[in-house]
Parts: sequence; structure tokens; C-alpha cells
Amino acid sequence: MIVEAGQLALTFAFALSLLLAIIPLYGSFVANQRMLLLAKPLALGQFLFCLLAMLALIYAFRTNDFTVVNVAQNSSSTLPWYYQITASFGSHEGSMLLWVLMLAGWTALVAQFSKALPLLLLGRILGIMGVICVGFIAFSLFMSNPFERSLPFFPVEGRDLNPLLQDFGMILHPPTLYMGYVGFAVAFAFAIAALMGGRFDSVWARWVRPWALAAWLFLTLGIMLGSWWAYNELGWGGWWFWDPVENASFMPWLAGTALIHSLAVTEKRGTFKSWTVLLALAAFALSLVGAFLVRSGVLVSVHSFATDPGRGMYLLVFLLLVVGGSLLLYGMRMNSVRSQARYQLFSREMMLWGNNIFLLTACLIVFLGTLFPLFHKELGLGSISIGEPFFNQMFYYLTIPFALMLGLGPWVRWKQQQFTPLVKPLGLVLVAALILALGVLASMQSVQANLALLGMLLGAWVGVSALAEVMLRMRQFGSVTQGLTKLNASHYGMTLAHIGFAVLVIGVAMTKTYTEERDVRMQEGDTATLAGYQFTLVDVYELDGPNYGGQAAELDVRKDGRYVTHLHAEKRFYRIQRTIMTEAAVHARLSRDLYVSLGEELPGNAWALRIQVKPFVRWIWLGGLLMSLGALLALADKRYRRKTPPATKQEVANA
Amino acid sequence: MRKLFFYVPLALFLLLTVFLLSGLFSDPRERESASLNKALPEFALADLMQPQQIWTPEQLHGETFLLNVWGTWCPTCNAELGYLTELRKQGVKIVGLYYELPRDPTFDAPFSLKALQQDVAQKLQQNGDPYQFNILDLERRLSLDLGVSGAPETFLIDSNGIVRAHHIGDINPQIWRAKLAPLYQQWSQP
Repeated sequence: MIVEAGQLALTFAFALSLLLAIIPLYGSFVANQRMLLLAKPLALGQFLFCLLAMLALIYAFRTNDFTVVNVAQNSSSTLPWYYQITASFGSHEGSMLLWVLMLAGWTALVAQFSKALPLLLLGRILGIMGVICVGFIAFSLFMSNPFERSLPFFPVEGRDLNPLLQDFGMILHPPTLYMGYVGFAVAFAFAIAALMGGRFDSVWARWVRPWALAAWLFLTLGIMLGSWWAYNELGWGGWWFWDPVENASFMPWLAGTALIHSLAVTEKRGTFKSWTVLLALAAFALSLVGAFLVRSGVLVSVHSFATDPGRGMYLLVFLLLVVGGSLLLYGMRMNSVRSQARYQLFSREMMLWGNNIFLLTACLIVFLGTLFPLFHKELGLGSISIGEPFFNQMFYYLTIPFALMLGLGPWVRWKQQQFTPLVKPLGLVLVAALILALGVLASMQSVQANLALLGMLLGAWVGVSALAEVMLRMRQFGSVTQGLTKLNASHYGMTLAHIGFAVLVIGVAMTKTYTEERDVRMQEGDTATLAGYQFTLVDVYELDGPNYGGQAAELDVRKDGRYVTHLHAEKRFYRIQRTIMTEAAVHARLSRDLYVSLGEELPGNAWALRIQVKPFVRWIWLGGLLMSLGALLALADKRYRRKTPPATKQEVANA
Repeated sequence: MRKLFFYVPLALFLLLTVFLLSGLFSDPRERESASLNKALPEFALADLMQPQQIWTPEQLHGETFLLNVWGTWCPTCNAELGYLTELRKQGVKIVGLYYELPRDPTFDAPFSLKALQQDVAQKLQQNGDPYQFNILDLERRLSLDLGVSGAPETFLIDSNGIVRAHHIGDINPQIWRAKLAPLYQQWSQP
């Protein structure tokens, strides 16, 4: 019953999205206020029905309703309750419904929190969101229905959730990531509405900024959680694999990062307009391309959902209509938009332009690296694969100038900056960064120059520079305490996010350089030594979980004879899916992780174990977390919440 | 000119969709083998059962045959032995390329030819023996040169020692009829 209600709710949502896609947009062209006013209730209603549909699906999973194909294939009665809930978005169908729910959620948020927007613009924005909703709800409803029943013949037990997805990280990773992906639809809709109306001024940019920031915040968190999940769950201690699907999430992130920076220029200086609009289109377009790549089976990846050319075809046509249509509109409208601001070669504008160039180059590299095998094959040149070395090398070269510039950027004024006033503070920053980098490296057991030194230097340069810049700005307002309140939240947000980037760079460089790894054969009582730590295998015993069996190993870790910690590594055998999963034991500290995964049983009562010591690996996720927090701080900026934004000089001049 | 400039993103996007469309209808797992239509790479490898016999590509010339990459450790390989044996009875010449798994010096027992021969003899006894003989690729160098990504894989080699087909995965009646039999017919004609 509930399942049918869910199906019905989704159908209602579809009908509302159709109305939302037609009425307000039509109303905006015939200047009908009543039609425009309908946008908000339609958006809210659509969200409500999507929510009901999702709840109905979760209900089906919680009640083990195996007459529903989706439930039977992705859950079982022995699955713990929290995984039964996450299993509702573990499959292609369920995750598509989650995607739809998020999209409707963003639409409702825009409807609810845009009181400052002119009615005409809001109507158009919601209408465009409606068009996107139509596409995805129809896809969910007709091409991958999560409520499909297999009556009259249905299994008595489900096939269980893919054990890879039975992890705490999986509860959080997909919803956050999707919030990010779909969130860029808002910036996209703002851009299209602006293209329709021909208005791209500072006010427009100020309206878009919080939405772009919010989407970016979620995407950053989502990617970070995914990396953390892979580290814990895949059992070999890697945190980024340049897998096509990871790349699919990384591309909108890079474009989105460029977008939030370019928006700053458009808001403050009224320039970079065509660039900003293109980035707003690109960030969402790349999300859609990503969705296509994951769900169509064009690329082979561990993440791919079961593939079906019909679904791929639908998504491709949708992609062609939405992205092709928006880029056509861009081509038609953008040539009439002029940016009139003037700036010198050494100015904040140029620094941000450089930022965009680097980010888009990075995006292009990921794009080509991901799709080159496809191009190569479809051109009849045979199969090739592009892997980690290519991406690592490219990003190595890109990060150096990018980080150097990032340390400099926030110091530079709009319009024009003289070199001389910057020489002294930046010189001090450089010296401080050098001391910091060499100090940290000297405390490591072995000093390895190359990557670690470079990473530490760049990280320290960016971090120290960001801190020094914000301190100096506070001093300009008199005392530091006075300055603390004078600087706006987005400035702190920027500083925090830049420090996050510094932390990330340090984490990557240090982990890459100093990770030590050993595969050992151990019997109970044996001790293996790695990087100064003594790992003693205390006990191995049989596991008995709700839907899995297997073995668990208990280890004691000592350093120089002193007890450090106890580790518990598992090797689970999931009974229904008949797959083996390693649950690595991780002891995390800011300076290093101890990582042990349990391998095969060997003849003679012994076990294979993989032991790793990974210095600074936490810093990678800490960096991501700081970046998201930075975005959150920037979102808190008061100027995004003024009801009627005061006109800037620019607008007065334009009027 | 400036006007056209703003259509560049659209043009690039349309180009991309062409590739995505054609990608949609081709199997990403299907790979064109690098060794196709080339002579067998040089090798001199011992026979699995009679190690004093050394096989080189020249000794294999003269007759079209299937080179089947397999190992007793691979369940799919063991499963296809039965059908391959049937093919042998129909007169298809099949040579085995025994693909030995890499050994971990810490964990695994040292390689023993005797144990392997016993293991192979037992598996062939159970499932049927399709092979004229087996070449032992202990270092997997020939497999690597041929572009083998796993087992089972099968190559069709013509009478001049040229690789004419590379099939990844097992051979079953459907695959044989649809894919390999026509090629076998074509290349076994004098």
C-alpha cells in the first residue's frame, strides 16, 4: 500500500514539476503576475511529494518488502536498520530518487529564501529548476522506477546490500555529494534566467554567490567523505584513485571553485561576466556529464551502476537539450554583454583570472584524462587506459604555480597594486614558511627533499600568508579586537578555505613521501616492526555479525617499548552476497595513521597482514573539512541576507 | 568574430556528445588486442609435462590452432575444459599456454614442477584434456607479450604463426559458433 502511495507521490511530483516548468516561465514572457506567483507553491509542493516518495521507499526497505525489486536486490532482513535506510539509495533507482529529492529540495529552498529577488527573476529561476526536475523525475518514474514490484513471484529473502556500501561513510557520502552536484543547478538556473533577461550586474552576482557557495560546500564535503570512505573500506590505505567516477565529481568541483572566485570579481567589480556565466553553466553541465558517465556504462569503473543503454540514451538526450540549449542561449545572448571595468596587470582581478585559468586547466586535464580512452577507442585507435601517473604528474606541475599565486592573491588590491608595499610582509611570510617547512621536516625520521619539502614549502607559504593577511587587515582597523568584528564573514571564510588548501597540500605531499608499508606473515604472538612501531598480533578469532562472518585480529602496538594502542582489524565474509571485505584497523593521530588490514589465512596457523604507517594522512581530509567550513563562514556573511541590497556605485553609474 | 567566439562552448559540447553517443553503443570492456594480425612474439618455453621439450614459434607453424591461456587455479578455465575437449574431438587443434600465478616469496611455497604436473594431470583427468600439449609460461613473459589480462583467454593462430583473433573470457558453444568458429574456418582454409 505504502509503496503504491510512494509511486503516486512521485507521479504527483512529476505533474507539479511539469506545471512548474511551464506556468511561471510562460508567465514571465507574458508578464502575468498570477502565473509568476504560482512558482513558489508549485516548488514547495513538488518537494513535499518527492519527500513522501522517498519516505515510502525507506518504509519499503525497513519493512523488508521483498515484493519490491529494488528492496529484494539491495537489502535483506538481516541487514542492520541503519543500513536498510541507506540501502534505499544504494542502487541506481534509489540513488536517482535521492537525486530527485535533493533537486526538489534546492528548488524549494530557492523558493523559500529569495524574498529579495524580483518576482520575474524568481519565477524564471524556479521555472528553469522545474525543467530540470521534469527531466529527472521522468527518468526516475519511467526509466528507473524504484517502486517496481515483482508480483506475483517474489523472493522470501533479499540479496543484501553490497558490502562495500555497509559502512558509516556510506550513510553520509551519497547525500552530501548529491547535494553538491544538484546544488549547482541553482547557479545554473540563475545564469539561464540572467541570460533570458540580459541582466548580469553586481546584484545578480550577489544573489548567486550564496547558492554557489552552498553547493560547493556540499560537494567539497561529499568528495572528502568519499575519499575517507575509500580509505577505510577498500583496505589498502589509498585515499584517491583517479577513478572515472571520482573524476566525475572532481570536475564540477574544479569548475565550481573557479565559479565562486569568478563571482567575487563580478560582484565587486562588475566584470568577468561572460566568464562567470559560462562557469555557472559548466559546473552543472559537468555534474550532468558525470551523472551520464556513471549511469550509462560508457566508462568502466568500480562505481558504475548496472548499465543500460536505454537509460544512457535518455540521459544523453536530456544532456543535449539542457546543456546544448543553455550553451546556445549563451552564444546568442552573451555577445551583447560588455564588461567595462578597467584594471592593471598586477591587480586582484588578474590574480583571480589566473586562479580561474589554473582551475580550468586542471578541470580540462581531468576531463581529457577521463574521456581520452573513450575518444581514442571511438576514433578506432584501439583501447588505452590513462591512470594515476598521468594525473599525479599533471597535478604536481599545476599545484606549484597555483599555490604560489594563492599565497599572493589575497594581498593584492582590486584595480591596481604596487609591488613595493608587498615586499616586506611577503618576505616575512616567505621566511616564516621556510622555517616552518624545514622545522617540520627535521622532526621527521628521515629528511627526504623533493616532494615533501616542496609540499611543506607550498603549504606553509599559502597557510602563513593567509593568516598574516587577515592579521594585517585587522590591524588596519586599529586594534586586532576592533578589526575582528570589522572584517566580514566572507573574508574569514576565504582565509579558512585557503588554509584548508594549504593543509591538504601538506597532507598529500607528506603522505606520499613518508608512507611506509609492509606485508607480513604473522602467527599469534609474532611482532613486526615498521617505522619504529612494534605491531604484535595478540589474537585472531571468528566473527559473528548479523549478516556476515569472518575473522578478527587483535594487535597491540608499542613504540620503543611503550604501549601505544590496541588495533582491531576484521576480514568479513558477507554471507548473502558471498563477498569478502576488509575492515581495516586505523589508529588516527594528526601526525600519522597506523593502518592494519587482515589478509588471507596462511598454512601453519599464520595470517597475512598489511601494515602501514601513514604520516599526515589526516591532513588531507582536515584540509577538505577546513575548506567546507570556510564556505560555511562565507555563507554566514550578512550582506547575502539584506532584503534590498543597497545599490553599489557601479549600479548607480549604470542607471 | 567576437560573436562566433561565444559559440565555441556549444561547438565543443556538441563534439563531446558525438563521442558519448558512439560510446554508448560500444562495449567498454571489449578491447582490441595489440597482438592482432602480428606474428607470435619470440619465445622458447618448456613443455609442461615434458620439460626437456622446448617450444619456439617456428615449431608451431603449419597448422591453424587455438592457443588457450589457462591455469588450474582458475575456475572458469576448468569449466571450459569440457567444451574444449569436445572441440578437440571435432578436430580443432588446441595448445595450452599454462599461466602460472605470481608467487609471493614470503607466503607461498616455492614452485614445484612436480606438484604442478600432478595438479594439471588431475584436473585434465576430471574435466577432459583438450590439449595437444601445454607450454609452461612460468614467468608469464609470453602472456605479457600477447597482451593477456587474465585467464581464460584464447588466441587463434594461423598456419603462418600470425595471431588472427583474441578472445577474452571462456569459450562456450554460443561464443564458439558466433565468434570463433567462422574465423577458424576462414583461417584454416589453405
